[in-house]
Amino acid sequence: MNIIEIENLTYSYPAAESPILNHISLEVEKGDFLAVVGNNGCGKSTFCKTLNGLIPHFIDGDFEGTVKVDGINTLESDVATLASRAGYVYQDFENQIVRPTVLDDASYACLNYAMEDYEERGRRALRMCGLEGRENDYIWQLSGGQTHLLALAGAVSLQPEILILDEPIAQLDPGHADRIYGVLKELNERYGKTIIVIEHHTEYIADYCRHVMLMRDGGIAWKLPTGEALRRVEELQECNIFPPQVTIAAHRMKREGRMTPDAPLPTTVEEGRRAFGGLRYESPEKKASESSMEAESAVSFRDVSLSYRSVKGEDYRVFDHLNLEIRKGEKIALIGSNGAGKSTMMKLMVGLLKPASGEILIGGESIRKKKTEDLSRKISLVYQNPEEMFIKDSIEADIAYAMQVRNVENYRERTEALLERFRLLPLKKRDGRLLSGGQMRRASLAIGVALNPGILLLDEPTANLDIATRKEIMRTLSDMKGITETVMIATHDMQLVCEWAERIIVLCGGRVVADGPRDEIFGNKEVIRTVGIRPPEIFSMGRALDEKALCYTVDEFLEHFKE
Amino acid sequence: MEGKTKKRLSESILDKFSIDFLRNQVLKNAYGNDDTVIARLDPRILLVWYLFMAIVPWFVDDLWFLLACFILVAATTVMARVAGLVLFIFALGVFSQTGYLFIVSLFFGGNASTIFPLLMLTLKVATCSLASITVFSGLDPDRLSNGLQWYGCPERLSFSISYAYRILPMLMEEFQNILLSYRLRGNPPSRETLRGKIRYLAYQVKVVMLSFYPLMLNTAKRSRTTVEALEIRGYRYAAVNKAVKKIRLSSLRAGANDMMFLAVSVFWICGAVLVSTLI
Amino acid sequence: MEAVRKQTASQSQKLMIFVLTMALYGLSTLFTELIPHYQVGVVEFSVEYFLFIPLTLAMLFDPMSAALGAATGELVFSEIMLGQFGGLGELEKFLTVTIGVYIAGRMVKNPRNYKMVGIAALTGTGLQLLMGTVVDIMKVQFAVEDFEAVAGLPESVFATEGFAFLNDFLFSGILFCLLPTLFLVPKLYGKIEPLLGMRPRDGKTYLGGVNAKVVIGCVIGFAAAAAAELIATSGMPLIDWEAGWAESSTALAVGLIAAAALAVIVIAAIRMKASKGQAEAK
Repeated sequence: MNIIEIENLTYSYPAAESPILNHISLEVEKGDFLAVVGNNGCGKSTFCKTLNGLIPHFIDGDFEGTVKVDGINTLESDVATLASRAGYVYQDFENQIVRPTVLDDASYACLNYAMEDYEERGRRALRMCGLEGRENDYIWQLSGGQTHLLALAGAVSLQPEILILDEPIAQLDPGHADRIYGVLKELNERYGKTIIVIEHHTEYIADYCRHVMLMRDGGIAWKLPTGEALRRVEELQECNIFPPQVTIAAHRMKREGRMTPDAPLPTTVEEGRRAFGGLRYESPEKKASESSMEAESAVSFRDVSLSYRSVKGEDYRVFDHLNLEIRKGEKIALIGSNGAGKSTMMKLMVGLLKPASGEILIGGESIRKKKTEDLSRKISLVYQNPEEMFIKDSIEADIAYAMQVRNVENYRERTEALLERFRLLPLKKRDGRLLSGGQMRRASLAIGVALNPGILLLDEPTANLDIATRKEIMRTLSDMKGITETVMIATHDMQLVCEWAERIIVLCGGRVVADGPRDEIFGNKEVIRTVGIRPPEIFSMGRALDEKALCYTVDEFLEHFKE
Repeated sequence: MEGKTKKRLSESILDKFSIDFLRNQVLKNAYGNDDTVIARLDPRILLVWYLFMAIVPWFVDDLWFLLACFILVAATTVMARVAGLVLFIFALGVFSQTGYLFIVSLFFGGNASTIFPLLMLTLKVATCSLASITVFSGLDPDRLSNGLQWYGCPERLSFSISYAYRILPMLMEEFQNILLSYRLRGNPPSRETLRGKIRYLAYQVKVVMLSFYPLMLNTAKRSRTTVEALEIRGYRYAAVNKAVKKIRLSSLRAGANDMMFLAVSVFWICGAVLVSTLI
Repeated sequence: MEAVRKQTASQSQKLMIFVLTMALYGLSTLFTELIPHYQVGVVEFSVEYFLFIPLTLAMLFDPMSAALGAATGELVFSEIMLGQFGGLGELEKFLTVTIGVYIAGRMVKNPRNYKMVGIAALTGTGLQLLMGTVVDIMKVQFAVEDFEAVAGLPESVFATEGFAFLNDFLFSGILFCLLPTLFLVPKLYGKIEPLLGMRPRDGKTYLGGVNAKVVIGCVIGFAAAAAAELIATSGMPLIDWEAGWAESSTALAVGLIAAAALAVIVIAAIRMKASKGQAEAK
């Protein structure tokens, strides 16, 4: 039975020149788990909003064709009726939560539609989404992943047959991402819900989804079963979608003639075990590690303790006598789950937070007495959310600002050079907020290095980006290795960690639980398990084939696994 | 003392400490006291109680009565566990309205006849403010908005109250981060001399105002999703539906605690009137 | 169908403006409650207003939603959240802020026109302050019998209130309303509208200038505001009457209060029973 039937749908936003959705026809079966993939701006989100009636009932525009959801023609219905058929979770889900407490928000829609048992419905939805026991908490007490689950519960509470999620895991650490997909899987299998996700992470698609739909230029290129879809490597890559690393590795082997051409490409580690079964691992010769022990100290933490005031009860202790040494020239990745203290550590370093006890030295000098504005010539912080770094009305003015107020000589030329270097010249008059995700990120990096600091701190530079943009930022970061001496990145992105970092510091509950080069960290199963790190898929693939294997990129995998 | 505190406050407006402190205090006041006796009381009864405490003292010139009212509201304020900052603002407010006159007249050796009316006035102002602090910051926001709605306040207002409590932590955080951007990249004038201090203050005020440019744009981005989500979740549908209001308000129940609270208040006030007539 | 849909869209836009203004202005009033007021001699340097926020939004979007949002934001964030609610007197502020912002928003046809924006910002602020001043003067006039008869009183009241008005208007008005609005409106114009999915204000979306209907509405609003404030402060002349009552018959007072208490408790008990009965009936 088809739960969604779309015929010849064409839609354009008001005042837009060309339609964003162009002659779409589609059928989705009841109980499907469908991933929608496609380039940025190909109309994925718009498409999803036609399913719950926001288009055309709430958002204006030219609408043609018919959309039938659970047997109802959206054009003849209204948003209220459709809301109980198709639930929607936004990408910026925290803005969709409007009540102060958890249960209240979960049952809000039911109350608004005058259901007598609204509270019971809210509770049931929370149970289904794994938020039992948090009913009376305030929203701000939840972690990012839990907030997302709450947004989902708010949609589930109306018991719709269809759930639509726009990039559910873009902002989450791997532990929370797994949990979200676990909940979705349960909703799909146990409660028979039809689930539609807009998703870039093909490893998750491979693990959870049944069908994949590729959108291109406002149309549907195809809709195929997941395995078959992910094997269309070239076509996906053209649309800036990156298939799972396992698939890419096999695809390249095939091209190099190392695999039989008619064997199906593996899409998961499990399938890969069979496909790559015949390969043998040759451990690379260990390069003598150049010891950097002798290098000068850039930042050092001496017995640093810090507590946050909490709203209720005891203060929350983030760091308790933390000691850490960062040397000049190091490229460090700071990893650990949400709330482990990564951002706090960075704020301490730039002097935005003062430690309760202990001392932080930068270049051998204590920063306790220093003014923040003086420190910023030595150390610079780029926020996780670039929008909060744009304080002027054009990125040119933003980049120039710090230099201008410090009367840096020829700041105009320097700004120009930075714009050029980060490929922002054509955009220089635009407001940062109105740029695309990747451009925003590049602009924030340019702002961060404007004062030519010796130490650069980046908080989640690849969060919220699609894979193609992420790759671009990773390239930019590699380029930047020359500009700034010491760089520290706090991130959940293990591909970035593996390809870029020379030293990895693992934080857990405010303590450094592991510290060393990548082989040492990823080779340590104990650390990976306790901290909840999800290594890149290709690394897990290697480990699955050979316990000793340590390959972090597809290139390394192809190099070290031989027939 | 007063001036010093003021100065310190103003000097550190942009200070992480103070913004963070402010945020913490506001959050504490908004969410930190939901398990007190006051927070669990029936909002309708508390609102009636508030009306009494806010209006009646103005009409009475009896010291004992006023004192009794003051002690009662002071006790409820303590019970409501109101954040320190709110009490500080309260103190400042009372001081600026009448308190300073009171102190000045004491200083110039004012006699009972000048001090007495001032004391009365101060008590009236204080009672009224403390009653409002008890009810409006002690009560759970949602219960408060339900109570207001029961008395016929527009639905838009009760939505605004709940939404304000939801959005405040997010807004504060965003605002704080924008201010931090100014702090990290800006170059404030030095504040060694008096002129420097004034210029520093002016700089800070300017930065706070400039921060609203990015804040407006960032918040605009958010409110679009919020309003779409409100539509999906039936906000507009509920606003015109009587049944929804009934269901929502049916959760209001006056229980034994409320009766107790009312009885104690009445007893206390009656006692005060009795004492004042006996003396 | 089409018309209904159009209306829904415009209602959603109004709600968006309301939410946006409420959140932003509400946040700013939280701060103004905390920024100290400087007093130099008789001149008070108070940072009273972040009124530029609703002024700006009213000039760019639907003025009524922005005006109501601002007034509600102030009420909710600084009055209710911080517990500084002053009773009926708050209604005065609510209405004057709404009127001031609304008028300013209606005046601007082209947000790129600096002159118009500036005039509107000053008019809005001035109107709001002026209404406050008039209410203040009326308060004194009400409180003092034979206001005109007391030698020098009218003059001194007009002088001090007038001075306060000028001071606020020139200081807060120019520094905190005119300049930021002039800075923000042209900068945000064309930038903030797409974020909300709207069209920038132009000849078509402009509501038309201030007309008789608007003026009448505002006058009624102002009358309500003045009445509210006067009722709120009319405790003063009643004190005499009260004092007499309190002295005269103690027994009566006690009896009255006890009776009231009993009544409240009985009524509450009945209500409780009734609501329980209702619940059971269901």
